[in-house]
Amino acid sequence: MEAPPDNDVLWARALHFTHRDRTPGLNGVSLGVGDGEILAVGGPRGSGKTTLLRCLSGTLTPTKGEVWFNNTPVHTLGPLGRERLRRERFAWVGPEPGLVAELNVWENAALPLMLRGMGRRRAKERAVDWLERLDVGSVARRNPLELDQAQRQRVAIARALAPSPTVLFADEPTAPLHRADRVHVLRTLMAAARSHDITVVLATGDLEAAALADRVVHLLDGRRVSNAQLPPAAGTEGRAACSLSV
Amino acid sequence: MLALRLGRRSGTAVQLRRLMVAAASGGTGFLLLSSLGHALAHPEAPGAATVRLAWCAAPLAATVYFAVAVARTDPGTRPRPGLSAIGLGPGRLMAVSAVTTALSCLLGSLLALLFFLHLRGDLTGMPFDGGAAALLAAGRPLPLPAALTLLTLVPLIASAATALALRPREAGGLRGAARRHIADARRREHDADTGAGGRTAPATGVGTGVDTDVVTDVVTDVVTDTGLDADTATAGTTTGTATATAPATAPVAGAAPARLTAVPDGLPWGVAVLVTGLGVAGYANRAGVALTPDLSLVPAGLLAGWALAALGLALIGPGLTHLCGRALQAVRPGAVRLLAGRVLMAEASRIGRPLGVVAAVAALAYALVLRYDLGGPVLGPLGVLGAVLVAGCAAATLVTAGIEVRQLRADTMLALLRVGAPATTLRACAALRAGVLLAVFGPLTVTVAELASLTPGG
Repeated sequence: MEAPPDNDVLWARALHFTHRDRTPGLNGVSLGVGDGEILAVGGPRGSGKTTLLRCLSGTLTPTKGEVWFNNTPVHTLGPLGRERLRRERFAWVGPEPGLVAELNVWENAALPLMLRGMGRRRAKERAVDWLERLDVGSVARRNPLELDQAQRQRVAIARALAPSPTVLFADEPTAPLHRADRVHVLRTLMAAARSHDITVVLATGDLEAAALADRVVHLLDGRRVSNAQLPPAAGTEGRAACSLSV
Repeated sequence: MLALRLGRRSGTAVQLRRLMVAAASGGTGFLLLSSLGHALAHPEAPGAATVRLAWCAAPLAATVYFAVAVARTDPGTRPRPGLSAIGLGPGRLMAVSAVTTALSCLLGSLLALLFFLHLRGDLTGMPFDGGAAALLAAGRPLPLPAALTLLTLVPLIASAATALALRPREAGGLRGAARRHIADARRREHDADTGAGGRTAPATGVGTGVDTDVVTDVVTDVVTDTGLDADTATAGTTTGTATATAPATAPVAGAAPARLTAVPDGLPWGVAVLVTGLGVAGYANRAGVALTPDLSLVPAGLLAGWALAALGLALIGPGLTHLCGRALQAVRPGAVRLLAGRVLMAEASRIGRPLGVVAAVAALAYALVLRYDLGGPVLGPLGVLGAVLVAGCAAATLVTAGIEVRQLRADTMLALLRVGAPATTLRACAALRAGVLLAVFGPLTVTVAELASLTPGG
């Protein structure tokens, strides 16, 4: 087995993934993410971005291929090992905030810290600190249901960043937001990640968002392509053909 | 037909639950038919037959309660986007679930009729050497309309209750505590204190859900007859407390979104009813009552006292569960205590109500067996059947409520697993919740049973 390059913190080789209903998900994707790098994975819906991120983060086991994290072979780890890896090293922000509605905002943000065994007081300090950095410190004692979508998404990002993960997986974190909020949330996320040297793998279908990253990898139909721009739709050709058949 | 098709494809656990409803309905139907048999065998004493029929109300109420709980957890008849897209919204699905419930109950009733006829010897000669002949008026012809009327009772009531419980409602259609809190919030709107002071303030408002399926299935809260006690079957009081709201995205103008962990109401009323019941039972019991297996001779005072006590227990269930949750997450909680306590607070009305009913049934069973020496064979086969039905339905309803909570909390579980919560932590939370509830409701049950069967003058 070939060892991964030294400067890459996360590294995948020839990933294949087939869903349980035999839908092909990934078709031989290889990539490496450097330490502290912000890598955007671009591509239209259904191109396998989420599947790739889930394979990289160990939520899914690839059908074929290898995933390495700092000399740890993620693809051969057992479920418990991957769970520990996710808890200790990785963080995940999805398109849905996924907050626990019974807990208030700071408790939500402090939950991963408390799950790692940190004391309540220290966890709270750190969570509130992160919430303030993401401009949601003023609502720290409110319930997540009382916030608007952008605020909730920020809380989710604070929750992901608070434990200082090595790698943050952000799967379309701004998909449900309006454009103004979208840019703001994304910039905050990037700034926080850069200042804390957190590696980010960002899946996004939005080219503007991808422009904020260090590097962009394009996926199309589960394959890595150099450019995901599809050729423009052929003018009136299709319509003429249709009218002919009538 | 649609109900059948949707029903046929569901998993083993769901079918098992439906079979249990059928069994409960069959048992109740059999008890009803036996009361008819008794009336046929003793035309000279209509009073005793009426009392027997009245006693059937307890298993009937328990069966209906259970059937509604099962219908609420049935994934086949839950509103879902796919069906909604083809126009099969919550309204039609309510009808489907009512039909499904009616079908399960009809199956049970049919089996009850067959068994009854078999025992009477109408089908294939007398079984068991005619051991049941005297009980079921074997010699006399069975009036068919009467039998059918009695047998349709359970399916009709159960499907009506299901339709009522699952009727489509707006997200704003909250009752009780939630509605009062909304009114409070509107009044307090002028105070303009919308800051961070919300932690201890009472929960307010409603949420406008985005997707109707989540809304309807979360907001269809407990419409269950709580007057479900083993000895009298007081009519069902629909005191569902509404705390749950859908995951709201847009707050309604003028009201903040509801808090999931709102206090369910009913605790003060429940305590009042419980204490009154204990007092009445104690007064009726002041000279010491020796109960006999003949249930028509139970003194009215004792019956009323027990009924009130049981109703009180069912009423305080949600409030007490909420208090348990609050105590659990009280002083500087870590992750496990925090999660366990908050979940208990959020699910107080769903878990608490059946838990209160189980406590009431358990208290009654405790008193009957240990204080009045009426356990087991003394009650006769029909009495035992009734008692088993009531106890079984109460317990099964509690389990079903647990399943419902589990279904509703699936997304929270997913969120927690995403955060990396180990499965052992989640299991520890569940165990902690169960332990706390047991530690509170167990002694409460025993205390109520002891107090209600106290003989102050003796």
